[in-house]
Amino acid sequence: MATEEQEPQTQEEPQADEPRAPQNTGPYVSDDGAVMGRDFVIPGVDPTESDPYRFHTGRKRDHGGEDAIEVIDLVKQFGRARILNGLNLGLPEDQVSMVLGPSGTGKSVLIKHIVGLLYPDSGDVLVHGESIPNMSDDELFEVRKKFGLLFQDGALFGSMNIYDNTAFPLRQHTDKSEEEIGEIVNRRLKEVGLSEATYKMPNELSGGMRKRAGFARALVLEPAIVMFDEPDSGLDPVRTALLCELIREVHAENGGCYLTISHDLNTARRIADFLAVLWNGKIVESGPKEELFDSENAFVSQFLKADVTGPLSMD
Amino acid sequence: MNAWLEIPRGWLDSFGEIARFGSRVAGLVYSGRVLKFFGESLRQAGILILGSALIIWGLIFVLGLTCGIEGAYLFRAQGAPAYAGLFSAWCDLREVLPYAFGYMLSAKVGTGIVAELGAMRISDEIDALEVMGVQPVTFLCATRLLAAWITFPFMYLVGIGVMYFASYLAVVEQIGDVSSGGYLLIFWMFQNPLDLFYSLIKGMFMATAIVMVGCYYGYTASGGPVGVGTATAKSMVLNIVLVHIIGMLGTLVFWGANPRAPIGG
Repeated sequence: MATEEQEPQTQEEPQADEPRAPQNTGPYVSDDGAVMGRDFVIPGVDPTESDPYRFHTGRKRDHGGEDAIEVIDLVKQFGRARILNGLNLGLPEDQVSMVLGPSGTGKSVLIKHIVGLLYPDSGDVLVHGESIPNMSDDELFEVRKKFGLLFQDGALFGSMNIYDNTAFPLRQHTDKSEEEIGEIVNRRLKEVGLSEATYKMPNELSGGMRKRAGFARALVLEPAIVMFDEPDSGLDPVRTALLCELIREVHAENGGCYLTISHDLNTARRIADFLAVLWNGKIVESGPKEELFDSENAFVSQFLKADVTGPLSMD
Repeated sequence: MNAWLEIPRGWLDSFGEIARFGSRVAGLVYSGRVLKFFGESLRQAGILILGSALIIWGLIFVLGLTCGIEGAYLFRAQGAPAYAGLFSAWCDLREVLPYAFGYMLSAKVGTGIVAELGAMRISDEIDALEVMGVQPVTFLCATRLLAAWITFPFMYLVGIGVMYFASYLAVVEQIGDVSSGGYLLIFWMFQNPLDLFYSLIKGMFMATAIVMVGCYYGYTASGGPVGVGTATAKSMVLNIVLVHIIGMLGTLVFWGANPRAPIGG
């Protein structure tokens, strides 16, 4: 429930926006004692690097509300590749949050931990105070009814038309009559502009339409938490803008904790209230959008201004 | 030496994984949890009947003709053409029908399940099910197993009729060395209802293994479309091996000690 500006647990100079000076004292040792290069590698980081987190102040600026989701010291490794390395993050209730970061930094892995599709090697994920990794399967399937998740390509069921796809969660989890279900489904499909495509199959739709249909399906149970995995990928600028507008409208109507992951700055400007920048498996900084866009942290500033000069390079 | 041991160890690992997955799926059916998705089971049953029955029966018909022709010419060569029914009875019921059933299920149903579930896996549809709070193993695999158990006995029994009819056509109507009554007398003398039951058990074991292997490889597919293709090929190989092992064990257990042939009193 971190509503105050917090000091990160592992940083020595948490309030500083300036990076620490590199510490040339040998390879980086993680909080859990693992040595980079020997026990793990971080994709995109030189294994001999002594301080890959010198820009990570971990600073969390006040967002003025309660956290719906808390991610605590999350570590996830696939083979030797450590994707998340002690990630800490709090996502506010009733705001649209966005996790930004370069490609391959673990944004999708983070979202999969939040919904319990992946289990952490260590650390915890709390959703409304309940620990996701420590739940039994039955508890997890129950708590997932709180979630709506829009996958990159919509993840619509290829064997069902758009109407049945959207009605699916209602048929599985409610006792509503077909008439009531039809009412809800048609309303949601109208909201996302798919009234005319109700009985089309997913393979008859464009990428943008599939995303909108996935959005309608994610909303039918009126979930408290809605997540979007790169809603802008593969869409032209106009459709991206329209989808962003739709997300804002639906959030204004329904409220709840919305989380979007992307690396698109225009999307961030359009929909986010709260931003977090992820790099090398840790949050560099997080806070309200306006404050983060004005951040003096060299990495955050470079990334949010899409500057070619700065710590992030093509390597 | 260790490198040589890695290969069988890998096979054992995979076999253990598949057995564990299969027992989990069977447990979901036996416990009745699958009944929450009974509608999906019925839909899958419909797909099996509409998509596979005619093809399976067609193959069985051709193999029934083959058994009849082989039997007729074999016994003609021995100077006892009236006994063609003996060959047809054993060939049809005990061996060729279960194998034909197993081959077609492997090729049509098993690979279809791998391809469908694998495609769902790589397009995040299975993850989507999980996020929606729907148990994907129950919804995707247990429903298919229940559908198989509902439809395959029926398809198998009809297949027996198709095969008997084909053998009759070949021996009596086409080759014609024996009368209809003579053929049927010997044909029915060399089988009884228990043989039919055993044959059905053989076929159902094959069907269950094929559906479980298909579900396992589809559900755990990874590596994009190429990964789905590889999983499909692997499932086909394993299913063909399993069909023969189950066929051999079935013959050994059901007819190995007592062939139940009314010969020599």
